[in-house]
Amino acid sequence: MALIRKTHTTPSDGNNRRLPRDRQGLLRQLEDEAADIRRWAALDLAAFPDAAEEICARLEQETQTSVREAMFTTLIEIGGNAVVNGLIPLLRSEDAALRNSAVEALQQLPDAVSPYMATMLEDPDPDYRIFAVNVLANLRHPQTPAWLVQVVAHDRDFNVCASAVDVLAEVGTPEAIPALNALPERFSDEPFMQFCVQAAIRRIQGHDG
Amino acid sequence: MSLPQATPTISNEEFLKFRDFFYRKTGIFFEETKHYFVDKRLVERIQATGNDNFRSYFVMLRFETSGTELQALINLMTVNETYFFREEYQFTCLVNSILEEVVQHKPRNESIRIWSVPSSSGEEPYSLAIYLLEHWPRADDYNIELVASDIDTGILERARQGRYDQRSIQHLPEPLLRKYFTKLNGQYQINADLRNSVEFTLVNITDLAQMRGYRDFDVVFCRNLLIYFDDTSRRIAAESLFNALRPGGFICLGHSESMSRITPLFKVRKFPEAIVYQKPR
Repeated sequence: MALIRKTHTTPSDGNNRRLPRDRQGLLRQLEDEAADIRRWAALDLAAFPDAAEEICARLEQETQTSVREAMFTTLIEIGGNAVVNGLIPLLRSEDAALRNSAVEALQQLPDAVSPYMATMLEDPDPDYRIFAVNVLANLRHPQTPAWLVQVVAHDRDFNVCASAVDVLAEVGTPEAIPALNALPERFSDEPFMQFCVQAAIRRIQGHDG
Repeated sequence: MSLPQATPTISNEEFLKFRDFFYRKTGIFFEETKHYFVDKRLVERIQATGNDNFRSYFVMLRFETSGTELQALINLMTVNETYFFREEYQFTCLVNSILEEVVQHKPRNESIRIWSVPSSSGEEPYSLAIYLLEHWPRADDYNIELVASDIDTGILERARQGRYDQRSIQHLPEPLLRKYFTKLNGQYQINADLRNSVEFTLVNITDLAQMRGYRDFDVVFCRNLLIYFDDTSRRIAAESLFNALRPGGFICLGHSESMSRITPLFKVRKFPEAIVYQKPR
């Protein structure tokens, strides 16, 4: 025994699949009892961008991490408005893992997310606004610092502002400093804010000490 | 007449800011002692991109949608080289810990399948072959299949030929060099038995359709590859690797890479020799 060589590792030609790979067939398989079948259906649905809405709708019922991850991977590949529209409501989910996956997926779709960001940051629910700031933490979009400055300048919730300050420490430019400097006064009963703001300004200015 | 531009400098705060960002994006953490190493490369990219200070460069790096500059920086900050027995502790982990667990769940008549991707010029898969023969006492009890894949046809051809220069074999003990190699025109060629024991194939691991043929592996070595992908490709590659493994199968990444930063699909396993990732059973 020991080392042997077999030559059966060959790329699949796609013709030997057990179940149909058309759009409707794959959407049906997303509800199959076997997680493996659901997972492969989710991955193969990347070939059908118009299935984004149905995949998003299915996310909250899916409990298997491996299937959910496959669905998110496919949605990120598809991208666009339908995906963002389907993912944004998940920021209100009570399921933290699902919510975090939605935040990470939205971070990877900067152009599609940008038209929604102003509205997300004005939502009445402060928790939801914090998740919107979390999206900004890793969003490759030139508007990101400006959105964060808006939060710091106008949001009335301490935790939302503190989250934005934290992100600004990394992505902020000197234009953010006046809004940051005004924050400790707005939250004068929260000494922690002073500390966060000072740390962020130090990082933005790039000064040592 | 324009004055020559001053060389940009990186303050300590800027180093820390860059370090946090780079760690979050890549999992690579630079200690304070690496300050000079990082500064030198940052300054190189600041100048190459036409910026004149860290601040403007960092804004560009942070918000550039294509991720091209981040990739250029990653290439510069990482050392991509391959040689026999590179990161040997993972091979030790394979023979001391991983395979012992794999065989607990495997009938004797079923092969152990190990995949090296990217195989580059073959140093890794041949190192695996030598390590298994030399250090795994149960190597003769099982059929072991070694598959090695790369996206580059030229490098695969070199791997099949198995000829190496002094730099590639510098960490091999002399007895192993004598046992498994023949000196040929100033190079060292790995012997025909070992060359014939590895199946070399062409694959792009971000192509899920191509990857369907890669199944039922017990262990995958995928070192220093994911770091070169963008976020979406990295996710797709992680899905591919998950599909390629048997339930309970293991994946070994490069020492600076972390699967947990990419996907929650795998469990983290801490063995005495190394941290690896496992597909749940």
